[in-house]
Amino acid sequence: MKHISKFTFSIALVLLSFIGNAQDTSVSEKPKEKSTIKKDSIPVKKERYGLRVGVDLFKLTRSFYETDYRGLELVGDYRLTRRHYLAAEIGNENKTVDDDQVNFTTKGTYIKVGFDFNSFQNWGNMENIISVGLRYGVSSFSQKLNSYQIYNPNPYFGESPVIISGENFDGLSAQWIEVVAGMKAEIFNNVFVGFSFRLNRLISQKIPNNFDNLYIPGFNRTYDGAFGVGFNYTVSYFIPLYKATVKAKKSRNNRSKGEQKETKEESKKKDKRK
Amino acid sequence: MKKIVLLLLLTITFSGCEKDDICAEETTPRLVLEFYDISNPSNLKNVLNLKVTGEGQTELGTYNGVNKVELPLDITNDITKYSLILNSASSTGANEDFLQFNYTRQNVFVSRACGYKTIFELNATPNGVIKTDSTSPDGFWIQDINIVTTNIETENETHIKIYF
Repeated sequence: MKHISKFTFSIALVLLSFIGNAQDTSVSEKPKEKSTIKKDSIPVKKERYGLRVGVDLFKLTRSFYETDYRGLELVGDYRLTRRHYLAAEIGNENKTVDDDQVNFTTKGTYIKVGFDFNSFQNWGNMENIISVGLRYGVSSFSQKLNSYQIYNPNPYFGESPVIISGENFDGLSAQWIEVVAGMKAEIFNNVFVGFSFRLNRLISQKIPNNFDNLYIPGFNRTYDGAFGVGFNYTVSYFIPLYKATVKAKKSRNNRSKGEQKETKEESKKKDKRK
Repeated sequence: MKKIVLLLLLTITFSGCEKDDICAEETTPRLVLEFYDISNPSNLKNVLNLKVTGEGQTELGTYNGVNKVELPLDITNDITKYSLILNSASSTGANEDFLQFNYTRQNVFVSRACGYKTIFELNATPNGVIKTDSTSPDGFWIQDINIVTTNIETENETHIKIYF
């Protein structure tokens, strides 16, 4: 039941953001088209560069409705080039997992650093982002085994009792790579709403003695010992730092790259002939 | 659009049952007894109506025409005692012997789905396996006991050989 409500909630959030985005574009497209027509003589287009900071609402809301979860994640990105963003997430999680056979609590802090590539071609002055990216994540955490049950396929002497353990495993760590796909849309001036899906792959981890890292802060539940999935829903604020002009030639250059190469080669050949 | 909805529905239906949720590994092992012929110790010998009962429990089973019996050990105690009645179908020929296993236990983590398992180590001879006669003495049908391994970690091997 818990999972179903979790799922419907996140789906609702995703769908809502789609609506928000759709309205956003339809409203803002038209006047911009007009403005470009009117100000045809403007020679250069300027784009804003800066820092965007925000918070993951998914973790924040989960902390309220899920009794055995506490989590906070701060997100940030810095626009490096026209399409590349340096991105990072830092967070803290405290989660108690109650499985059939084991009950444990994981506590820890994580940081993820990487980049996003914006594949979205914006109209006019819009700054929306549909991105793919990579992250390198590191987490430092501890596990507490609250209780466990012995799996006994032949319970001839009675069902195995739940054993209260309380054993602590400190100083654990994990490192992983994340592939991120996400989008951000500007809903008000400088305020962005976005979400992202993540696929995680563990690189290395320090496994507790006679237990396993079944949950890793930032990485989430471990599947098959090495895989994980993630999701976040962020609200962030963009702090503009400077503006850079977009060279009108650039798009032309991209188109004729192949031709340029040819001409270079031809010119080289010509040089050799000489 | 229809395809996307279908795909979503499929992922929802299958997201509930992952491989991780089913315990497929070998967990708590049973003690494996193998029966041999005392007059020809390298040959296996089938038991005849061997009735096996754990102390304070209902009958585990009656084995006939087999030479291997797996006995569950008590995972909450360091002692498990079994009554083994050979020829249990006969009113005159039945012979009861008791086998008491003394061991230490260790709980080992297996996986998310299985949790922990218990593995056993039989105490050093002669205390690992103790053979006693029934309360109304009828002599021993078990002639000799040979502990192959004291480590009971898997059911894929024989732990104790019994000669009769």
